Amino acid sequence: MLLPKFDYHEPATLAEACEVMAELGKRARPLAGGTDLIVNMKKKILAPEHVVSLGRLEELKGIDSYDGTIRIGALMSVAEIAESTEVKGSYAALAHGASVLGSPLIRNLATVAGNLVSARPAADLPPSLMAYGAGVVLRKKDGERFVALEDLIQGPGKTAMEPEELLTHVVLETPPSGCGAAYIKLGTRKALEISLVSVASYVSLDESGGSIASARIVMGAVGPTPLRATSAEKLLMGENPSEQIFERAGEAAALESRPIDDFRGSAEYRRAMVKVLTERTLRAAYGLARDQ
Amino acid sequence: MKQIIKLTVNDQEYELAVEPNLTLLDLLRYDLGLTGTKKGCDEGDCGACTVIMDGRAVSSCLILAVQANGRKILTIEGVETEGGLHPIQQAFVENGAIQCGFCTPGMILSAKALLDRNPHPDEQEIRTAISGNLCRCTGYQKIVEAIEEVSEKGS
Repeated sequence: MLLPKFDYHEPATLAEACEVMAELGKRARPLAGGTDLIVNMKKKILAPEHVVSLGRLEELKGIDSYDGTIRIGALMSVAEIAESTEVKGSYAALAHGASVLGSPLIRNLATVAGNLVSARPAADLPPSLMAYGAGVVLRKKDGERFVALEDLIQGPGKTAMEPEELLTHVVLETPPSGCGAAYIKLGTRKALEISLVSVASYVSLDESGGSIASARIVMGAVGPTPLRATSAEKLLMGENPSEQIFERAGEAAALESRPIDDFRGSAEYRRAMVKVLTERTLRAAYGLARDQ
Repeated sequence: MKQIIKLTVNDQEYELAVEPNLTLLDLLRYDLGLTGTKKGCDEGDCGACTVIMDGRAVSSCLILAVQANGRKILTIEGVETEGGLHPIQQAFVENGAIQCGFCTPGMILSAKALLDRNPHPDEQEIRTAISGNLCRCTGYQKIVEAIEEVSEKGS
């Protein structure tokens, strides 16, 4: 397949990249891992006049700790996220989501930022990141802003970003003690699979370790964006963890999901699986929180 | 407008002028004549175009040639050693892990990327490592056995 013609830019610094994006705006597309953009250009879904490669921006690589948060550079590959001891240690659900995304060949190219800004409803990184309460830093020539991940993703392929903005970092708070999170992806095969349903749950326990201080449940592939199961979360608050309460939370989450029928699966099946995955992820998240 | 890039392919340095919309896969096949790297789906789903770039197995159909500037690429043509076939290649032959052969270069490079990092993978790690490489002859079992054999023979 032939790629449409475009002008190629390869800024050496973030400041220079922001200049280029400010000048070109909608006519340009940033290129990171390329696993979405290049495919969409080959299929003629996108034909930007300018492609701005971010590959040389060293500022956007790696992880750093910063004022009680960790910041993951936008260009960190999905494979690097899955392998990172820091991510595996403190954000196990994210590391797991990264380890089941696409295939090794895709994970070695795809970036964390790309999986967020492409805003696909079945993407593997947003559910766990939202469950951890992640935010992102958006930068343009005039300055930068912080946006909660939940507010960034607005619909299939739609984000709150302005055309000249670049996502530079994913920001996560250092997890408090007594918390845990888990992510489960359900598909019909083990690799190169677009989730039928995915759920990430985060649980934090109160200081005595007895009751649930807070919970966040995020459902993927059952709505236009990853969805918070807020009624299920409320139901868990202040309760003692038990099989019964996890089951009730699963039922509440299933009611809140908005699945569609398509060739991958029926809405009815997806809704039933939301319940199962919610229960399982809550159980796993609670296990991690308790043992911490 | 063509851009000048420098890259290393199979330990040989190249300086080339390429159009921005040329993929690394097409550069390898049509400009350098390295047709061992296969073009299957051309959209990142099949793994036939797998090469190793800076130590990582990647789909060369998803990479622009200009992005490979300054990178080190290994294709199937660079795997064979002066002493003959690479142990992974030899194991594929001996285990009947090659049928039509179309997926073989990609399979071998995914296996090599795995074994270079993890010389003694378990079966699950092997299956995960080749999970992006499709074999439509469906000879996966023999491919897994071939990689296991290299892992067991290697020190």
